[in-house]
Amino acid sequence: MARRERAASVRRAFSAPGFEPASSATAPSSATAPSSVDARRRAAQQARAIADLPPVLDSLFDEVLESWLALQLPPSQATPEMLGRLGTLAYRYTSRVSLEADAVLLEVQGSVRLFGGLQALCAQLLERCRAAGLEPRWALAPTPLAALVLARAGRNIMVRARDRLMGELAPLPVESLAWSAETLARLDSLGVRTLGALLRLPRAGFAKRFGKEALLALDRLSGATAEPRRGFLPREHFHLRSEPTFELISQAAILQHVAPLLDQLEQFLRTRQCGVDLLKLRLAHRAGRFTRLDVRLAAADVSAERFATVLSEQLARLALPAAVIDCELRSGVLQPFIAHSDSLWRPAEHGGAIGRESPALIERLRARLGSEAVYGLCLVPQHRPEIAWRVAEPALDAPSPCTAEALYHVSTLRRPLWLLRQPAALPCAVSALHWIAGPERIETGWWDGQDVARDYYVVREPRGAELWVYRERLPPHTWWWHGVFG
Amino acid sequence: MGRTPSLSSDTAADDPLGSLLAHPALWRGRSLARTDTHSTGYPTLDEALPGGGWPANGLSEILSLHPGLGELRLLMPLLVRFGQQPSARWVAWIAPPFEPYAPALAGAGVPLERQLVVRTDEPLWALEQAIESGACATVLGWLKSRPGEALQRSLRRLQLAAQRQRTPVFLFREVAAAQCASPAELRLELHFRVGGARLQLLKSRGGRRGAFDIEWSVASGALHGTP
Repeated sequence: MARRERAASVRRAFSAPGFEPASSATAPSSATAPSSVDARRRAAQQARAIADLPPVLDSLFDEVLESWLALQLPPSQATPEMLGRLGTLAYRYTSRVSLEADAVLLEVQGSVRLFGGLQALCAQLLERCRAAGLEPRWALAPTPLAALVLARAGRNIMVRARDRLMGELAPLPVESLAWSAETLARLDSLGVRTLGALLRLPRAGFAKRFGKEALLALDRLSGATAEPRRGFLPREHFHLRSEPTFELISQAAILQHVAPLLDQLEQFLRTRQCGVDLLKLRLAHRAGRFTRLDVRLAAADVSAERFATVLSEQLARLALPAAVIDCELRSGVLQPFIAHSDSLWRPAEHGGAIGRESPALIERLRARLGSEAVYGLCLVPQHRPEIAWRVAEPALDAPSPCTAEALYHVSTLRRPLWLLRQPAALPCAVSALHWIAGPERIETGWWDGQDVARDYYVVREPRGAELWVYRERLPPHTWWWHGVFG
Repeated sequence: MGRTPSLSSDTAADDPLGSLLAHPALWRGRSLARTDTHSTGYPTLDEALPGGGWPANGLSEILSLHPGLGELRLLMPLLVRFGQQPSARWVAWIAPPFEPYAPALAGAGVPLERQLVVRTDEPLWALEQAIESGACATVLGWLKSRPGEALQRSLRRLQLAAQRQRTPVFLFREVAAAQCASPAELRLELHFRVGGARLQLLKSRGGRRGAFDIEWSVASGALHGTP
C-alpha cells in the first residue's frame, strides 16, 4: 500500500505542468535547439520504430515492480569491450545496469515515464544500439533471468506481467538456461525438454536430484525469489584507440577519422553528466614515432562538435612529420557538467548574459595562438610598477582578486595606460623632453633582491607623446622609458 | 537643422530654400544617416560626431602617428561605461603595442576582470573571431599595415561582422592608412595639442568633416613640479 502511494506521488511529481517526459528525453541530447522540421522527423522516426516493436504483454491486475531488459550480443561480438560499450549506452536509461557473460541487463521500469512509455524507451535504446553498430537480441521480462533466457532464445518480446511470463517461457528449450552439459543431459534423460516441463517438476524431488542452486535458479526465473545483481559501473576515463585502414596524411583525413571517437566521447560524457576540459590525442607514425596533441578547453564541455572545432584549429597549426597509422584519444579528468539553456536572444542582447560564448572565444583564440597569448589582467599590491600587475586567467564572472590596498594605490597615483614589458632607452635626448610632472620616488623591494630606486617623471617628447620615464638613483643615473600615457 | 517644420507663411516668403528644406516630406542624407551610437563621454566630441557618439555597430578607425597621443584616453569613458553594464562581456584588446597597464585601468574605473588581451601576429583573424563570438562588448585592435598588403577586403569582413553582432569595434592604425579607402563608419585622425588633442574627422556617415579640439580632464592626483 505504502509503495503504491509512493509510486503515485512520484508519478504526480513527474507529470507536473511544464515537464514533458517524452521531449525531455531527447532535448538534452542535442546541444543546439532542434528545428521543428527535425523534431517532427524524429518524432515520425520514433513512431515508426515503436510500430516495429511487438506489443507489450501487460496484465490488468498485477502491479509491475520491475521490468528487465536483456540485450544479448552474438558470440562474435560478445567481447568485454563491446559489453562495456553496450553497458555505457544502457546507463543512459537507468542506473540499474548489470553485465552478464554475453549480455547486458537493465531495469527500466523506473525510467518508463521519463522516456514516454516502455515502447518509446526500448525503441530509442535499440535505435542507439544500431547506430553504435551493435545488433543485440533482446527481450523484456519481469525477472532478469527470464529476460536473459528469452533473449538467448531469440524471442524479441516484451512481457510485463508476471502471470503471462510462464506462458512465454514454457515452450522454450531447456538449453536456453545455459546450464552445464551434464545437467542438460540428465534433464533430457528425464524427458524434460522445455522450460514448462522443467517448472512443472515437483520441487522437493528436483532439489534432491539437481541441488538447491538449480532450484534457486528456477525460482529466480519465475520471480518467486528476488535476484540481487551486481551493478555495472561505467569507466571514469575515456580511452579509445582506432586504427585507420589506410595511412592518414592530411589534417582533414585525421579529423574525419577522429570524429567517431569524439562522438563516442560525447556519449560517454553524457551518461555521466560530466564534461572534460582536456583531451589528449596521440597520433602514431611508423617506426614507433608519435605526435602528441593536447586540446585544452576554457570550460568543461561535452559536445563533440565543439571538440572538433578546437581540434581542427590545432591540427591546422600542426606540421605532421609522417603519415598517421593510429589514433588514440584519452580524456582528462571528468568534471561535473551543468548544461546551459540556449537563449532565444543573441548573446547579451536584451540584457541577456553570455554563457557559452565566452569560453568558446577563448578556446578558439588559444587553440590557434597558444595559451599564453590570451590573458586577463590582475592587480598586485606592489609599489614597483612592473610587478604591480600580473597576467591572470581570463574569467569574466569572477571579480578580480584586487585588494583595497592595491585599489588605494591606483586611485591616488598617476599611472600610464601603456607599460613597456622591459624599460627601454629613451626615444630622444633628455634635453629634448618637456617636463610635465615629477619626480615620484619609488624605492622599495630591498628585501626580495629585486630592489628598485628610481625617480619617475611624466614628460612629453618632441612629437607630442606623453611618456613615463625614470632615472636610476644609483650611478650611473641612467634614464629609462617605462610607459606611455596612451 | 533642416527638418523642423516651420510652415508659417512669412518664413516661406523670405527664404524659399529654407521652407523647402523644412518640408516634412523632404529627407536629407545627413538626417537619414542617424545610427545607433554610444556617447564618447566628451561633450565636444559628442557634438561633432554624427549621431552624437561612437558608432554602436561597426568599425571606427583612429589614426595617429604613434601611440601616446591620447588614443586610449579617448575611449576611457566608453570602457568605464561598458564595465558598468550588468551583463558581463569582454573588452578585447587585440595585438596592443604595449602592455595595457592594469593599475592605470583600475584607477580610471575600468573593471580588470572584463579585459581580455590577445597577443597575435594575425590581428585580423583574432579581430574577426572576437567580433563574431558575440562575447565582446567592444573590440580594440591595433593594425600595422605592411607594405603591399591590401586590407580593404579584410576590413569589410570586419565591418559586416561588427554590424551583424552589433559591436562597436575600434581600430588603431597609422596615419599613412588615411591614403587608402576603408569601409569604416568613422575615421578620425589624432594630432597632438597641448593639454588635449586635435581630431580631424576624415570620414563619417552623413558626410560631416572637419577638425575640432578636445581637452583632457587632468588625471586625479597628478604630480606637479618639474626638475
